[in-house]
Amino acid sequence: MASSLSPPEEASFHHRHSKRYSSSSSNGVAVESVSDFVKRPKISPPNYISSSEIESEFSHHDPDFTRINNGSFGCCPSSILARQRDWQLRFLRQPDRFFFEQLKPKLSESRSVIKRLINAEHDDEVSIVDNATTAAAIVLQQTAWAFREGKYDKGDAVVMLHYAFGSVKKSVEAYVTRSGGHVIEVQLPFPVISADEIIDQFRIGLEAGKANGRRVRLALIDHVTSMPSVVIPIKELVKICRREGVDQVFVDAAHGIGCVDVDMKEIGADFYTSNLHKWFFAPPSVAFLYCRKSSSGARDLHHPVVSDEYGNGLAVESSWVGTRDYSAQLVVPSILEFVNRFEGGIDGIKKRNHESVVEMGQMLVKSWGTQFGCPPEMCASMIMVGLPVCLGVSSDSDVSKLRTFLRERFHIEIPTYFRPPADGEIDPITGYVRISFQVYNKPEDYHRLRDVINGLVRDGFRCTSLSG
Amino acid sequence: MEADERRNGDSSNHNHRAPKKPRLAGLITESDIRSEFAHHQTGIARINNGSFGCCPGSVLEAQREWQLRFLRQPDEFYFNGLRRGLLASRTVISDLINADDVDEVSLVDNATTAAAIVLQKVGRCFSEGIYKKEDTVVMFHCAFQSVKKSIQAYVSRVGGSTVEVRLPFPVNSNEEIISVFRQGLEKGRANGRTIRLAIIDHITSMPCVLMPVRELVQICREEGVEQVFVDAAHAIGSVKVDVKDIGADYYVSNLHKWFFCPPSIAFFYCKKRSSESDVHHPVVSHEFGNGLPIESAWIGTRDYSSQLVVPSVMEFVNRFEGGIEGIMIRNHDEAVRMGLMLANAWGTNLGSPPDMCVGMVMIGLPSILCVESDEDSTMLRSYLRVHYSVEVPVYFLGLRDGEEGVKDEESGLITAYVRISHQVYNKQEDYERLRDAITELVKDQMTCKNLSAV
Repeated sequence: MASSLSPPEEASFHHRHSKRYSSSSSNGVAVESVSDFVKRPKISPPNYISSSEIESEFSHHDPDFTRINNGSFGCCPSSILARQRDWQLRFLRQPDRFFFEQLKPKLSESRSVIKRLINAEHDDEVSIVDNATTAAAIVLQQTAWAFREGKYDKGDAVVMLHYAFGSVKKSVEAYVTRSGGHVIEVQLPFPVISADEIIDQFRIGLEAGKANGRRVRLALIDHVTSMPSVVIPIKELVKICRREGVDQVFVDAAHGIGCVDVDMKEIGADFYTSNLHKWFFAPPSVAFLYCRKSSSGARDLHHPVVSDEYGNGLAVESSWVGTRDYSAQLVVPSILEFVNRFEGGIDGIKKRNHESVVEMGQMLVKSWGTQFGCPPEMCASMIMVGLPVCLGVSSDSDVSKLRTFLRERFHIEIPTYFRPPADGEIDPITGYVRISFQVYNKPEDYHRLRDVINGLVRDGFRCTSLSG
Repeated sequence: MEADERRNGDSSNHNHRAPKKPRLAGLITESDIRSEFAHHQTGIARINNGSFGCCPGSVLEAQREWQLRFLRQPDEFYFNGLRRGLLASRTVISDLINADDVDEVSLVDNATTAAAIVLQKVGRCFSEGIYKKEDTVVMFHCAFQSVKKSIQAYVSRVGGSTVEVRLPFPVNSNEEIISVFRQGLEKGRANGRTIRLAIIDHITSMPCVLMPVRELVQICREEGVEQVFVDAAHAIGSVKVDVKDIGADYYVSNLHKWFFCPPSIAFFYCKKRSSESDVHHPVVSHEFGNGLPIESAWIGTRDYSSQLVVPSVMEFVNRFEGGIEGIMIRNHDEAVRMGLMLANAWGTNLGSPPDMCVGMVMIGLPSILCVESDEDSTMLRSYLRVHYSVEVPVYFLGLRDGEEGVKDEESGLITAYVRISHQVYNKQEDYERLRDAITELVKDQMTCKNLSAV
């Protein structure tokens, strides 16, 4: 059952916190076999990855940059990159043999690992695709077919969040609007005070979707919105969707695995997608699309790039979309080895990332005299921090230029967000930064950001001074 | 040097811009080539470049540099490096294939993806009533299986009709192909139907034949076919590609097969038209609506490095005498020479005449092996891999009633062919190993039935 993907580690054999493929952190030692037992040291304080090992794993990151934007493109430790190269070389060495003998079984192993991690029922419910953008195309193409083939009535609704990712919105336009579906965007408040605000707005959105005797065929909900970034109360929203007779719920959790708790049975959605290269240390790029077996339409999902596997189920279709480099999808089992070098495995990492990002965020809020975009319990490993009002952020263009300015002048990488002032607000905070915290980050990164912004404030800097 | 000069002045050189010609002293050596492909498994006769291609070590190195650039500071790369790098690759390709405008060239993963793009568009036209249900898509029966499935998924599903043209094989002349194609077009237009799309392979995969694609496209124009899609998965690096001369609406070729790119990258050419083209990448990003080249340049976070190394590949091929043209000519000549050697040794035939081959040749297998099904051919292929360390695809030729077929020297019917490939890393010993393997199987009176028992 154990894969032979990685050579046994002799000298630095760590006391592994959990079985190789365990989906959640466990306190006990799971003894798999006699040889495993023998390899473990007899008296065993945990021998977790050290700070200097972490630095070494991410030594390929540009040392001149203050990198506090893990949310956009993620990161990948060098030991995983090395495994990825092994896979690439295996194919290049003898591609026919690799294709006929290894590719599919090894992709199945990756799917099995993911299935356990996300508490899915069957391996078949897990398909591996490039990224959440691809997953969205798959789900929305199915919705488009249903409209075109008359399964759905023209004008039936698809409900999504206003803060849905730009690419997903375009996908909805390309597939749903074009085939006759009616799209409703749920406006969410920002800053947000509580989960209830979101739940209330969502209910209103569903009502609008059902107006005039229409059906809501699909609810497309982010687990963690991208910009502005907020953790959405996804379990409650799914329950509401079920009560209100929504046909299908699709959760876009690009920032899911490694960021928030991802338990398919608990969440109860029909479709759920998450990138592994953002918060789960995979190389670019790999994501999973979970499709509940019992869901209507599950059998109607197809990868848009049709190969000779067409009709064999989405998981199999996705495992062959023509000749390409599947190495990022093959390293998934190795990633578990990596995260299990940390105390608490991936759950420990999530917890510490959350605590650190809140702590750093609070430090910034205090120093700048601003506020968070949401309460700490509605954030995971990213948080929106208000920028000082005196910087004069007054448009999308301002924040875009500010981001470039921070990158080029100060070598700080951080995404920025413009929050338009609402009527009646006095001196509102209109600019936010989204800070991320991942295992390679240090407090100095955020101190630097703090000081640079304070420096700009001291110098009387205003965004209008930035050239376009 | 003389050969180079002749090629430079050659009026049939349709290249928009002449490739850089290396100084004689700088040409790649045998040992350089061995070193470039040192990562290939040794001890096997790797004579199947056609399926998965190859990539030299120096290009893999260039690819790693691109990968590291992204990993180092991904935002910076996304905002400042990626699109410029992709445009550089597209520009090299655009020049190579004689496109009018670099905007006609998109980069996608592979030909399978391009087929999905074209067929999704056609499917939408059927769905939205722009095409009538009886309107047809015409293709060859030996079109790549993925393309056929794509037609099923996007065209048949919405009620569009298809007409399959049976490629004669073995084939003796272009006229044979042209003749059956004309018949296929007639069928497609019967009863006042319109042929909305013709899909033509530039080089068929199995069985492998170089098609008279220019003539076929011309016939399509004459016969009022609305759009022509040339699936040229094997073309670039195998045969001269001049998209203007060929004249198709859509043309796709993989660069990881015969153009030394790492997996995977293909160029997808869409002839500029005055009206809205309505082709879109199926993975929709925020670039939707900005034109296919831009849409394809960002389909979400992924590794675009294989699409960025095209300029490095040009440097590689230009280390060879005659650049890519020299490589193509030598691959063809060697493949034919080896093919004839095998046909002679086995008493069989070539599947097509030399001028209808590229760097790949189909050679009949001795009838005594009794290949009687696709399963048999798959088994024989595995057997050759496992017991003789020969990697070569085997094709089962299912003859239909009334077809005569070709006989071998033993007067048995030839029912199977191997497809040999020749690329710069191949040696004569590779083909001799195949020759001897088959000869031994024949001597030991092995048939496919025996093989399954082994």
